[in-house]
Amino acid sequence: MIRAVWDNIKGLYSLIVGLSITARFLFSPQKTVHYPRKVVDPESLSSFRGPLELTPAADNSAQSRCISCQACVRACPGHCLTVVKGQGKAPIVWTYNFTLCCLCAACVESCPTGALRFSHKVYMVASSRQEMVLDLLSDLEKNAAVAND
Amino acid sequence: MDLSIVSFVQIIVSVLLVIALMVANAVVMVYIERKMAGFIQRRPGPYEVGPYGTIQAVCDSMKLLAKQVFVPGNVDWLLYFLAPVTAFLPVLLLYLPIPFGPYLTAMNVDDGILLILAFAGLGVVSNLLAGWASNNKYGVLGAARAVSQSVAYEIPMIMALLSVVFLTGSLNLTEIVDSQGSWPWQWNIFAQPFAFFIYLVSLIGETNRAPFDLPEAESELTAGFHTEYSGMGFALFFLSEYANMLLVSFVCATFFLGGWKGPFLDGFWWTFIKAYAIMVFMVWIRWTFPRVRFDQLLNINWKWLLPLSILNLWLTAAILKILSKIY
Repeated sequence: MIRAVWDNIKGLYSLIVGLSITARFLFSPQKTVHYPRKVVDPESLSSFRGPLELTPAADNSAQSRCISCQACVRACPGHCLTVVKGQGKAPIVWTYNFTLCCLCAACVESCPTGALRFSHKVYMVASSRQEMVLDLLSDLEKNAAVAND
Repeated sequence: MDLSIVSFVQIIVSVLLVIALMVANAVVMVYIERKMAGFIQRRPGPYEVGPYGTIQAVCDSMKLLAKQVFVPGNVDWLLYFLAPVTAFLPVLLLYLPIPFGPYLTAMNVDDGILLILAFAGLGVVSNLLAGWASNNKYGVLGAARAVSQSVAYEIPMIMALLSVVFLTGSLNLTEIVDSQGSWPWQWNIFAQPFAFFIYLVSLIGETNRAPFDLPEAESELTAGFHTEYSGMGFALFFLSEYANMLLVSFVCATFFLGGWKGPFLDGFWWTFIKAYAIMVFMVWIRWTFPRVRFDQLLNINWKWLLPLSILNLWLTAAILKILSKIY
């Protein structure tokens, strides 16, 4: 009986602790970013897993490190990757269906040359499913052209 | 009370003012509640509609008015439409004996608190009717919970108020305010701290607010007794819920916090400041604590609040008797 009373008094103290935590949060600065007027600081996106992108080669930023070994295609649980080998080792088609991707990183881990990585594209939108099927080779070339300008 | 034309006009005007107060209170409280919920969770709350989202609540109520009243099949038509009305109508009466200011009482009746407690019980009937008539398993479960909860929490609430009535020797709310002084240490909260605490807990239980919002627990009962209500039916339940919150806050301010008496300058503003402080406290509690389980809810009431309130009442009576023998 005495123990039950004491437990309940301790419980009341825990209620006051809870109230003090929410009161502190009530007056602390907000975490929300009002998107169209402000954007998230790019540094805080370094751990964000956006859609996949190809890592540029060390000597030529328009070229991929991909050797068309199909390890990523076999590793992918959602079958969202298509890699077609051309003359030599370099791929000629590299499409990535983002609608099927679960961002599990099996492809990134299976790649022997480190040619795949997650991008930090937070603000990606599309109005149709077809726009979600990305051609990563042309994206890589576009990024290189933007970087060279 | 004589039923002259003056008192008739007085009652009509005060009922209209009470309706205006109820609607304005619901709009303001929705805004305050959503803003406070946002700030506690470190997000901005309503922000886009109007400056700092102030018009959001008005837009929501317009949407509610324009919404289709959807009636599911197999409902009991009469009871289904009677339930929101029985939730709304008694609340109009409940505000009449409340002394907002020294001269701002709609109906100065001798048994004011008795009137309030008697008609506040009708709110449970409306919940029961709504849950039963909508022919929905969640509705019936919510209604059953609402009844057992409200009936249980009414008892310690009445006991807590009764101990103040013992001190004052009157059921008239104006006389209860008159018996208290202007400064905080002259209020009844210092004479009856336990009664204040018991009343504070049981008013959250009585108004079905989180963490005691079992009748409308979303995770298990979708929306409880008002699951099948949309449009104006839901709006009336919503209005009466916020009006009941304001009412218990006004009663708390009158009984424990000195009513319209306050430091420096007495007046109706003190009643409103105190009542809204209690409302903000209720919102703060809602966004802090998780919902209790139903057996825990009833255990808090029957095993703790009720014995404590009886003990408090007994001690009050004993001390008053001893004091009256001495002096």
